[in-house]
Amino acid sequence: MVLLSACAYAQETPLKVISLDDLSFFKPQTGNWQIVGDVTMNPGIDIHQQVIKAPAGADKKNKKSKTVPVAEPLKAVTFVAGKGILLNINDEVKKDHIITTFEHGDIELELEVMLPKGSNSGIYLQGRYEVQLLDSWGVKNPKYSDIGGIYRNWETDPAKIYMGKAPLSNPAKAPGLWQTLKISFQAPRFDAAGKKIANARFEYVELNGVRIHDNVEVPLPTGGPVENNEKPTGPIMIQGDHGPVAIRNFRYRLMEESKVTASEITYKTYSGEFQDVSSLSTLKPVKTGTTPQLTAEIIDDENNYGVVYSGSITIPVDDTYQFVLATTGGTVMKLNGETIIDLQRGDVWRTHKVSRKLSAGTYPFEILNFKTASWMPPRLRLAVSTPSTYPKELQAFNSYPPSDNPTSPILIGVGNEPRLLRAFVDFKGDRNQRLTHSIGVGDPSGTHYVYDMETGNLACVWRGQFVDATPMWHDRGDGSFKPRGAAQFTFMNQPLAFLSSPIQAFPAMSKESEFRTKGYAIEESTGRPVFKYVYQGLEVEDKIYPDDQDRSITHEVVIKNRGTKTGLYYKLAEGSSIITLPDGSYAIDKQFYIKSGTPATVREVNGKKELVVVVESNVKYTIIW
Amino acid sequence: MVMNKRIKNFIAVVVFQSIFSLAVAQGVTEDDYYRIVTIPAPENVLLEVGGVATLPDGRIALCTRRGDVWVIENPGNENNHTPTYTLFASGLHEPLGLAYKDGSLYAAQRGELTKLSDTNGDGKADVYETVYAWPISGHYHEYSFGPKIDPAGNFFVSGNVAFGDEEWWRGESKRPMRGWVMKIHPDGTLEPWATGMRSPCGLGMIDGELFYDDNQGDWMGSGGIWHVKKGSFTGHPAGLKWTGVPNSPVKLTEEQFLAKIDERKVKKNGQYVKPENIVDEKPNFLYTMKKEFPELTLPSVWLPHGILGISNSEIIRDETAGKFGPFVGQIFVGDQGQSKIMRVVMEEVKGELQGVAFDFKSGFQSGVLRMNWGHDGSLFVGETNRGWGSAGTTNSGLQMLKWTGKVPMEMKTVRAMPDGFEIEFTRPVEKSKAEDLASYAGRSFIYKYHPVYGSPTVNEEKLNFKGVKVSADGMKVRIVIDNLRQYYLHEISLPGIRSTDGSSVLHPTAYYTLNNIPDGVKLLPSELSTKRSVSAIKATPVKTTATKSKAPTYAEIEPLLVKNTCTACHNVSKRQVGPAFTDIAKRKYANERIVQLIYNPEPKNWPEHETPMAPMPQVPRGEALKIAAWINSLNKEAAPNP
Repeated sequence: MVLLSACAYAQETPLKVISLDDLSFFKPQTGNWQIVGDVTMNPGIDIHQQVIKAPAGADKKNKKSKTVPVAEPLKAVTFVAGKGILLNINDEVKKDHIITTFEHGDIELELEVMLPKGSNSGIYLQGRYEVQLLDSWGVKNPKYSDIGGIYRNWETDPAKIYMGKAPLSNPAKAPGLWQTLKISFQAPRFDAAGKKIANARFEYVELNGVRIHDNVEVPLPTGGPVENNEKPTGPIMIQGDHGPVAIRNFRYRLMEESKVTASEITYKTYSGEFQDVSSLSTLKPVKTGTTPQLTAEIIDDENNYGVVYSGSITIPVDDTYQFVLATTGGTVMKLNGETIIDLQRGDVWRTHKVSRKLSAGTYPFEILNFKTASWMPPRLRLAVSTPSTYPKELQAFNSYPPSDNPTSPILIGVGNEPRLLRAFVDFKGDRNQRLTHSIGVGDPSGTHYVYDMETGNLACVWRGQFVDATPMWHDRGDGSFKPRGAAQFTFMNQPLAFLSSPIQAFPAMSKESEFRTKGYAIEESTGRPVFKYVYQGLEVEDKIYPDDQDRSITHEVVIKNRGTKTGLYYKLAEGSSIITLPDGSYAIDKQFYIKSGTPATVREVNGKKELVVVVESNVKYTIIW
Repeated sequence: MVMNKRIKNFIAVVVFQSIFSLAVAQGVTEDDYYRIVTIPAPENVLLEVGGVATLPDGRIALCTRRGDVWVIENPGNENNHTPTYTLFASGLHEPLGLAYKDGSLYAAQRGELTKLSDTNGDGKADVYETVYAWPISGHYHEYSFGPKIDPAGNFFVSGNVAFGDEEWWRGESKRPMRGWVMKIHPDGTLEPWATGMRSPCGLGMIDGELFYDDNQGDWMGSGGIWHVKKGSFTGHPAGLKWTGVPNSPVKLTEEQFLAKIDERKVKKNGQYVKPENIVDEKPNFLYTMKKEFPELTLPSVWLPHGILGISNSEIIRDETAGKFGPFVGQIFVGDQGQSKIMRVVMEEVKGELQGVAFDFKSGFQSGVLRMNWGHDGSLFVGETNRGWGSAGTTNSGLQMLKWTGKVPMEMKTVRAMPDGFEIEFTRPVEKSKAEDLASYAGRSFIYKYHPVYGSPTVNEEKLNFKGVKVSADGMKVRIVIDNLRQYYLHEISLPGIRSTDGSSVLHPTAYYTLNNIPDGVKLLPSELSTKRSVSAIKATPVKTTATKSKAPTYAEIEPLLVKNTCTACHNVSKRQVGPAFTDIAKRKYANERIVQLIYNPEPKNWPEHETPMAPMPQVPRGEALKIAAWINSLNKEAAPNP
């Protein structure tokens, strides 16, 4: 019942890949950008720390942070040859930005980005409007200059100053991890005389799955544009002079406004409790007329009516066109004589979607509609789109207005003490992987987690706001909440188990007779919960707390009566790739790190890599993301 | 304070005078005897009450659907001093029950029974101990209720069924103990206790025996109260899925059940079809199926749907030793949808409990979910209607029901007799009226046992009152009826009965569930008064207006709306559980179409209402047409376009 946004529509067709097999999508540059097969960034090495070790290379006029070549032997960035990743390692000489050979106007863009500690880059839409890329790990109050910020410019003329816009939150990950960025951008609009009539606009920017800009205009180019002006098109530019950056899974879709039009619209209305459209052609209409736009406003009855709209649709170019027709009641739509929609039930409110390949030309259409259910008002929406055009709404606003009863969100924050809240949690957002005995623990520091009491497992961590409880507490609710932030999920099964061999899989969940949750106690000094469970007679206590300036979470597993039985394992992580870093930590799919207090091993079970420790006494590890 | 006292005295005089005059004028209301007092709460405290527990020091503890546990000091607003709220615990998963035991509070969350203890003495729980966790699938309807604590300290918790994915109307037990009552021992061991529950929101512990109530739904023709003994099967088959577990006290299997009764799982055009009421069929009843399934337990007391509630809740016995009025030892049952409280009295007949239900008190601000006794004998009523709808239009809150000290003219109880019933009153009756058979009316009926949502009342029959015997003190009346039917619900109305001071019976209708007819001595014809005056009570004025073509007035239609239980869910101009009559009028249905919708409702026409209407084919066609004409007369808009 809400108008579909352009992005929701566009996701139905795949994006074009900017191939990173070679550099053919980009203009030549001095060589700081290259194609590689894999890249690893040591999260412990700040690219600026190397300044001290290397001879000072001064580039004083630069307004942003300084950087110099990556020096041996302290390598923040290592890579292996191959394809698929665009990597910048700049030095004093080679520090070009990279610019696509193609230009774009409206565009939807997706990419994954990795930055080493302290690095700085940016992605410029049209080479002019920069979304900042920065190692902003752990920043609590992000500014325009943090990752995801729309950067400011440095003009002095008050008419040309743009101060940038901070992201709504900071979902940034730790250096060396892949972060996803999705951008929907609309170019500025110009009239025939070349005068700008609409500002450039970020329809949305999402970082690590979290929306950080929502329909914001950028009235002027940001700092350091490819040209200091505004144009209908421009290339994508990625900044290359402020430190290493790697990009992969780079995809885009060029978008434009649809030029589809509807004309010569006439209508006939009928009164009666119709069961189908068959009699509409034979009856005498109550009313006939013409209307400049399609609209259900011409129907005088609230219910028990029939209506026939006819007219022409002009298709500007050959393409595949999707027609989205939303109506209340039964509907038949004919296009160029072909019935493309047919649902003759008077008591339904449906959105029909149908696609046809069409050549440029003008086609007659007809929409026959009747309604026999009084609970819904007369409504009609017809939107036409192609894979590269936004839906063109062909109806009047009042023919399909937005709902007048929107839901106010129920957002739960954290006060001075930890906030605990039990709820169902959909693991990785998947309803089929619903955790049913889970609890969210919100910390005043802004670093939160979900613990699954059914398995004694730390299932999810995030920074930012706590949770959105609207799904649980609006109306009947479905018992679940959603983390408000870039939720980093771990794995689902019970992490502590006696295994008969080092290759035996962990049980998803032990039998009731072997595993019992005992709940939790609130630690008086911190207000934090200490979770307790009993596994095969072992009394286990789990303490979980923010660590390292609240950027990570440490999990201590204390077994009060460990005894001597061998074969007790604890799973710290699982993934398809687990690599060991120079500082002894582990990168899990380069999505997060684990630092273990005791030696861990990587094993492979059922095609998945697992990071496990043999439990001698207690377990302590830290999740860094 | 002086001022207060004077005002109080003044009010007392006014109240006394008005009661005196109203009683004479037949204008008495429930408020004269039991008054609802709303307990104020701080603005940011949202009391969507899921449980009410009374602490030994008189404080009241509440748990809310938002997971908080509040402890309220001075809950009764004594000395005009507003209560103080302390957050004892928070973060629970939609707890729908709260009980106190040995210094701790216990709450059933969706997935576990939790013991909340304050071990450091700061007034806040610091240990949230899992007593027992049960599996759930994560379906929204998998609410859990309780606990109720038995004299040995064991906990009883009940679990709602989930619903099907495609068959969204069918209650399903997707995990063990959904649709069950669990007995959980203090050491955390589970004893599966009974199954057959659909939505067992109300639990009650009376004399160490467990009772529960359910409300209409699939397989549940109407709400009612069941005496849940170990091994009971109360009717909804979903939980039978788990009777194969080794410690199941119920042995009936799903296969055995389905071999005898059709669950109407039918596909049409590749899609499951929701079962609807079949008007012309030879239906199953719970009692007929009990012959096939001995474990099937009949409700001790039906709470007829739409009359005595639509979504029954807490079951609590009056243990106030008279502080709450004349109904000591009797049972009160809340109702969420109708925002009211009913009164129930049970007796043992042939080894089984059965009994009678009355209306007691309506007009609560929101859905009545939980109740518990304050130390002054007031009844604390915890309320919520979010997502469920209720007659009370406030979303949530806490109210207190206080006895005013006056004894209403009521049927104190009704007992089954071999030849009829004995009615005991709270005040003596005027003999001349009580000995007049025209002062009595009644019918009997029953509900179907089928996979359809709810049931119409069926096999309806008027009761034949053959004679009456009034006790010497005027406190009891024996009525003799010659068409008692075992297992049927007997509706007995006393329109003509008056107390010796002229009061009519405040709630003049009793609903007795006659699962067993007692043996014993019948009254001799010589003992009976068989007088039947013609003038005492005439039929409703409806008949006299039947032939008029003009739409009936509200005064004419109100008795029909009440009699047919329409007003249980519909108000003239306000949205309640169902849409307002004026909103129905706006739909401009033809009268015939309204009649059709009364008989076979289409809840999908009203997607913003949470509780579907049950089919009401028992409404006589003539009355349904009159109601329809009246509804349409409410539409003040211009006639449809020509």
